[in-house]
Amino acid sequence: MRENIEVGALARVEGEGGLYIGLTDGNVTEVRVDIYEPPRFFEGFLIERFLQEVPDITARICGICPVAYQMSSVYALESILGVTVSPQVRLLRRLLYCGEYIESHALHIYLLQAPDLLGKESALELAEVAPEVVKDALRLKKIGNEILKAIGGRSVHPVNVCVGGFYRWPDVEPLRALLPDLEWGLKAARECVRWAKDLPYPDLEVDYEFVALHHPEEYGVIEGEVWSSKGRKTPVTEFEKAYLETHVRHSNALHSHTVEGTPYLVGPMARLNLNHAQLHPQAKEALKESGVVLPLRNPYKSLIARAIELVHFYAEAIERIREYRPKGPAHAALKLKAGEGAAATEAPRGLLYHRYAINKQGRIQRARIVPPTAQNLPRMEADLFALAPKLVKMEHAEATLTAEHLVRSYDPCISCATHFLKLTIENK
Amino acid sequence: MDIVVIGIGQSLRGDDGAGLAAVRRWQEAFPATARRVRVETAELPGLGLLDLLAGARAAVLVDAVRADSLAPGAVLRLDPEEAAAFAPGAGSAHGWGAAETLALGRALDPSLAACRIRLIGVVGADFATGAGLSPQVRAALEAAAAAIEEEVGRLLSP
Repeated sequence: MRENIEVGALARVEGEGGLYIGLTDGNVTEVRVDIYEPPRFFEGFLIERFLQEVPDITARICGICPVAYQMSSVYALESILGVTVSPQVRLLRRLLYCGEYIESHALHIYLLQAPDLLGKESALELAEVAPEVVKDALRLKKIGNEILKAIGGRSVHPVNVCVGGFYRWPDVEPLRALLPDLEWGLKAARECVRWAKDLPYPDLEVDYEFVALHHPEEYGVIEGEVWSSKGRKTPVTEFEKAYLETHVRHSNALHSHTVEGTPYLVGPMARLNLNHAQLHPQAKEALKESGVVLPLRNPYKSLIARAIELVHFYAEAIERIREYRPKGPAHAALKLKAGEGAAATEAPRGLLYHRYAINKQGRIQRARIVPPTAQNLPRMEADLFALAPKLVKMEHAEATLTAEHLVRSYDPCISCATHFLKLTIENK
Repeated sequence: MDIVVIGIGQSLRGDDGAGLAAVRRWQEAFPATARRVRVETAELPGLGLLDLLAGARAAVLVDAVRADSLAPGAVLRLDPEEAAAFAPGAGSAHGWGAAETLALGRALDPSLAACRIRLIGVVGADFATGAGLSPQVRAALEAAAAAIEEEVGRLLSP
């Protein structure tokens, strides 16, 4: 095959993106993941907004991972005001995150990526041959949404989160009522790991630099340091010195790289490889039983990492609900002051960094949002470049499908990753 | 309330909001019928559509459709099987169109497979981002509301 390969729109990927592979004399010379979802002006929307509006606005960036966008923003804003939240607020935040990981991972594992690995065109085709698997998948996902609903009032874009804590304590009973479902989900997630370890993964080993939030006492999701598999340990406040974003012409999303100019990978494989010592004992057991050897380096096998995390977050959700005893005020009192602060949390797709500057009335003066998919885009392009010599030997339809499978394995959330930047045009 | 009417669409994506607008127009024009059934509007339900359908004996789904061969503003009445022909493009950011979700749900859940479902589609002209319906779709809302009324009336009659 000698012509350029263009995949107009990628199906089953959040948002809209395209892929371009350029050939010169039959050799691959260019690979681009094109982003053409209209730019999202979220950083601009936030200017002059009162800080308490921020979590509900940033939540709207994504319908799959709204909690991450809320959490990175509240932690960044709390760092400016010097707010320390109560242990029960912290517990509830972890629990909210459990709900998000559960719904996002269940969706991706079973309905988005598994059909690719099993040679099915969609989850519908998978449902025809394995109805029980897809039925369990829908139930596993729904339980995650139920957690969001019990804490945040609705199953998508929960609304209870505020700077300082929660607007009101969620009732204990609806959460306790989820325990039988969660117990079922924990067993189903263990089963998911057994099923996932033997799926037919294409061969592809990449020497990634993995980057994830690390917390010494718990599986890193909120708070902690940014760790890299190359040994770099970066306080969150120094994140922008170690990891830079640049604009590339073909994409509305900024592309990230390390300060050395190399691409890096965030997401479930990075978290599992760097933080497996902090997994819940149930997830550790599932990992051991699976015989999977870390570090995982095959992008398709991020499905296994998601499955192990699914076990972790089901097990953690059960514990957090049992420990949940609301007492005292649901949110800390805020004392406004001007300043600048940053925070990172782990969205299901990877590290999500926010930085804000506020004035003394608590109004946003500057906002910076670095989403996980933007960080992974250069890595995605590099992997596609490695795959490209194979692709160009295939028929167009097969090449399209093969490239789509690789892109989908990253679980890219392209609508989240497109936000607008200030453009400078230089005439030479 | 084991009959549900669901308007589907994104109000910030031009004519994609036709389903929402049609259901609201029907509620205004036929309040007596609307009170006898469960009415839902969902911007982008994705797989959540299955939850909206849970427990329903019959359902009327109202959604915008893309159909190059048909005039914008045309009102279609379809069975779920026919809706598969209008499989989604990349217009929805979440990949799960109503027809696709419905097919998945019906394949997995016998009670949903037994649910009588009618789809009312309004052919849209412009699905670009931004609020507001095209003149053709606005002009079609009355016909769409009448179609909803007729379908619901048929489901309510013994």
